[in-house]
Amino acid sequence: MRLDKLSSIIWRSVVLVGCVLLSAVVIWPILFALSSSFSPGRSAAGLSTVPFASGFTVENFAYLFTQTLYPTWFLNSFIIAAATMLGTLVIATIAGYVFSRFNFTFKGSLLTSMIVLQIFPSFVGMIAIYVLLNRIGALDTLWGLVLVYLAGNLPYSIWLVKSYLDTIPVAVDEAARIDGASHLRIYATIIMPLAKPILIFLSVTTFAAPWMDFIFPKLVLRSAETQTIALGLISFVTDKNINFTVFSAGAILVSIPFMIFFLLTQKSLISSLSAGALKD
Amino acid sequence: MLFMGLAHMTVLRQRYKGAAFALVEIAFIAALPYLIRNIIGLITLGSPQPGLPIKLRDNSVFMIIDGVLAVATVAVFLAIYAISVRGAVNDHRAGVQNEPPSARKQLTAIGSRAFPVVGLAPTLFLILFFVFVPLVFSALVAFTNFSSPQHLPPGNTVDWVGFDNFVTMFGGNQLYTGALVRVFTWTVIWAVLAVGTSYFAGMILAVVLHETKFRIKPVFQAIFILPYAVPAIVTLLIWRSMLNGAFGTVNKTLMELGLIDQAIPWLTDPTLARFTVVLINLWSAFPYFMLLTMSAMTAISPDVNQAAELDGATGLQRFRYITLPLVTYQTAPLLVMSFAANFNNFGAIFFLTNGGPNLPDTTATGAGATDILVSWLYQITVGQLQYNYGSVIAVLIFLVLAPFAILQFRRTKAFKGEI
Repeated sequence: MRLDKLSSIIWRSVVLVGCVLLSAVVIWPILFALSSSFSPGRSAAGLSTVPFASGFTVENFAYLFTQTLYPTWFLNSFIIAAATMLGTLVIATIAGYVFSRFNFTFKGSLLTSMIVLQIFPSFVGMIAIYVLLNRIGALDTLWGLVLVYLAGNLPYSIWLVKSYLDTIPVAVDEAARIDGASHLRIYATIIMPLAKPILIFLSVTTFAAPWMDFIFPKLVLRSAETQTIALGLISFVTDKNINFTVFSAGAILVSIPFMIFFLLTQKSLISSLSAGALKD
Repeated sequence: MLFMGLAHMTVLRQRYKGAAFALVEIAFIAALPYLIRNIIGLITLGSPQPGLPIKLRDNSVFMIIDGVLAVATVAVFLAIYAISVRGAVNDHRAGVQNEPPSARKQLTAIGSRAFPVVGLAPTLFLILFFVFVPLVFSALVAFTNFSSPQHLPPGNTVDWVGFDNFVTMFGGNQLYTGALVRVFTWTVIWAVLAVGTSYFAGMILAVVLHETKFRIKPVFQAIFILPYAVPAIVTLLIWRSMLNGAFGTVNKTLMELGLIDQAIPWLTDPTLARFTVVLINLWSAFPYFMLLTMSAMTAISPDVNQAAELDGATGLQRFRYITLPLVTYQTAPLLVMSFAANFNNFGAIFFLTNGGPNLPDTTATGAGATDILVSWLYQITVGQLQYNYGSVIAVLIFLVLAPFAILQFRRTKAFKGEI
């Protein structure tokens, strides 16, 4: 019994020390960015290794809002990500519902092609996408970019929704159909509420990806007013760390909402992960 | 049944359905000359016209895209045709109606039948234009000489060259073949290490947190989730600055602590840079697997563990014989998909090292020491304008990853005959 207690104490101290060390490694870059966002000067080279020892100023944040189009970038990124998320949710859930509940010619081949298509990083086809967007006058527009993301999201999302809906018994919608409900009504009022876990998972993933994407905005967006956060932030640090402190300020502002969101939704995140990722 | 919809209208007396099919066919016939011209363009890719101003010359890239679009249109039409024939035959078998269904009945039937059609239309349209056609286009480019400086539209045309690019990449040109072998090997190693390290780190952490009853456990858990919450681009760019050899905080801190004497070339030594990208990936990816394991563990009934505990199983034994097998069983399929995702993890390489540091062949081939296939693909197309070689890489990625997609497909119920 005593030995047990001793080993338990040793185990707990080892775990505690390990967790503290790991926490330090995890927090280090975040703390570094936070401290440099409040540091005077521009470059990363002059920064002290001790956080907040280089002085304190809000000049970087002021620079961000007066000398750059940061608020515009933020808004653009938000519009793109939100539109992509909403579009994916609507289109993918309807298609997933159709694939799950209807039988029609070519259904099998369509599903197979979706699963094959979803393995490609969509920028493999960027030249053709550029030309097609140019044709329909969507270059340098936010909606053009949304179209590209939307199309890229669909194969995987549809597959995900379809698999999830397959686990909901058909008896549920058949009962409603006998009561005279239309397909649209069944989809909207019965199936969607039941599919909530997968909808949450889809919302988070389809919002986060375009929010910080780099390649497609770089390809599609040209003018200063259409730039996104990712493009703007990268422009501060390309090659030399000329504007590292300003970059940090912008990066911190972008990350804070996400960190708060993730910390608050930890619990449902874990359960939606099991709905979205673990079940197929 | 030469003309779609005729059967529906005459024999089966489904006037509206027939009319819809007929409209599709009329539109198709009207577009036929245009489609044929574009398909011919796809075959010839235009001829050089040095005499004309650049704007008026044949643009081979447009011709490939228009040709692919035309072929896709024909395929869609044939599919609709097949659906129409099959529908008519089925309805016919069901019995030629003695009385034509009333217009109202037909419209209700269409209203209900239209749901899947209308529901799928935006999906099919978007995927066709922005996923399928671009992918086919880049696959086709692998068989052309579309590259800088000789064959770059709009100034010059592009020609079909058969398998020449594949020959160059797979043995014909020493520089490119050497780079391809190196990048491919590293891509596989990278994907395995990236998944393996973060998976085991995340799982062990989740289990340890789960097993140890700390009062401050939620604090640790919250801290460990942070890397998952910060956008990857941001963390990678911060790490890049911190790991800078000359003035990076990591080196400066280690020196001030007296742990090292001279700067460590984290991102500038080829071998060390590869090690660093895996390490930083571990930093940003372990929370995902930690959350995943936690989520999988909630599915394990506490009774099982209690029973084992009563039987005198130690914590380690319970982990080895209960938690590990159950969690692995649930998450293993995801490992396969994570491998595929990391195989294509452009950002993890591009933002941290930009593919560097340079190797002797980098100037010629564009492939740096840490470049994986996708980041090389980006470099070789955007940086070097060698679209033909880039497309060969794309085809290679397809050949490697397609089995994984099929594997995932076979696992699903759809394959087991539930479609």
